[in-house]
Amino acid sequence: MPEQMAATTNPSTDLQQLLARVALGDRTAFRRLYDATAPSLFGVALRIVRQRDRAEEVLQDAFVNAWNRAAGYQAALSQPMTWLTAIVRNRALDELRSGARHSAQSLDEGEGAAAIEDTQPGPLGLLEQAADALAIRDCLDSIDGSQRQCLALVYYQGFSHSEVAAHIGSPIGSVKVWLRRGLDKLKRCLESLA
Amino acid sequence: MNYDRPELLDRLAAEYVFGTMSARVRSRFQAIQRVLPAARRAVEDWEQRLTPLAHSVPPEEPSAATWKAIERKIGGSASPSSASTWLAWLKPVLGVAFGVVATLGLVRLYPTAIVPLDDIVQERGTLPASYVGLLTDEANKPVVLASSTRHGRIMSIKMLRKVDVPMGKVLQLWALPPDGDPFPLGVVPAEGKSTFRMADTSEKLLSKVSRLAVSIEDAPAGAGARPAAYVLTGNCVKLW
Repeated sequence: MPEQMAATTNPSTDLQQLLARVALGDRTAFRRLYDATAPSLFGVALRIVRQRDRAEEVLQDAFVNAWNRAAGYQAALSQPMTWLTAIVRNRALDELRSGARHSAQSLDEGEGAAAIEDTQPGPLGLLEQAADALAIRDCLDSIDGSQRQCLALVYYQGFSHSEVAAHIGSPIGSVKVWLRRGLDKLKRCLESLA
Repeated sequence: MNYDRPELLDRLAAEYVFGTMSARVRSRFQAIQRVLPAARRAVEDWEQRLTPLAHSVPPEEPSAATWKAIERKIGGSASPSSASTWLAWLKPVLGVAFGVVATLGLVRLYPTAIVPLDDIVQERGTLPASYVGLLTDEANKPVVLASSTRHGRIMSIKMLRKVDVPMGKVLQLWALPPDGDPFPLGVVPAEGKSTFRMADTSEKLLSKVSRLAVSIEDAPAGAGARPAAYVLTGNCVKLW
């Protein structure tokens, strides 16, 4: 995990320089930016849309979008990886919510299962690892278990309210309340970083 | 729905970034972000907050075809060509040139917004030496025309279109020197015209400033303050 965090959060200056070159239309810099970030971003997209071909389409659209918008990237406002990840997550969520998604079960059967290795951590595991890396684990652990589970399913897997409800076997009304409360608490945890 | 309420925008932005919105609501909120800078800023705040959580996802290698498709979509191969190097050099030059031309074009269209024209100026048929700024939004639409005579302290503002400012916030105009921190010039209105007195003459404050920007702030910025995200930016040129 530490290697992975280092790969995604630390070389911001390099990525910023690459993005500045991309803004000028430098295609070589764009290729280098792709090589440096595509695997992390593809991992994020694949978790959400769960099929490799769809995740690759998401990645394509996101990079074309980044190419077109690079001139508007403001280094003072966000880290390059934050900027790129936000573009990928937005595109992945649009794709997922567009209705083209087959069913929530694709996680457990067929192509979806093949797309993500069994040995990889589940959504709650990812949330806990992220909290460890950000040193907010104590704060995360203070959030109620059901709320934490809902947060992880939505953030990493892109589950809708009804999918979360079906997955954990709770009424959708409860899921909505847990998510709202969980998000408020998570916001406080993340704000404590600043 | 009243989108001027910051707490409502914050809630919607959270749900948008976190991913709980349905397709219909997502698309509606995307449209709101395009016209309401405060909504876009709320989304950016949540992206800053939540994106570090995504860094724990293990990387996966996309197929080689993915890059090929991206290359195709942006047109051409990724090898540097003399044309792209030349264009890369020309682009900022053209950008500045276009900005100046657009600014001067607007000066002709909205002469009274620039500087109060007194009789003498009208007789001479020329505008006095002034600093002029034209700020545009993300869609490159002109929004703010700022002008001040070269040795004057009064900045005249004309809003070319209305800006949605959340309740209790102000639009702060900043000067962006090429080699120093941005410094606040004054507050501009959401619509209409206004003037404000600057800390010094235009010549002293703006002679080296080629860019201006507007941010949304909780209160007018004092000396030494740092700007929030810019919602409008543009060139500042000398009109003489």
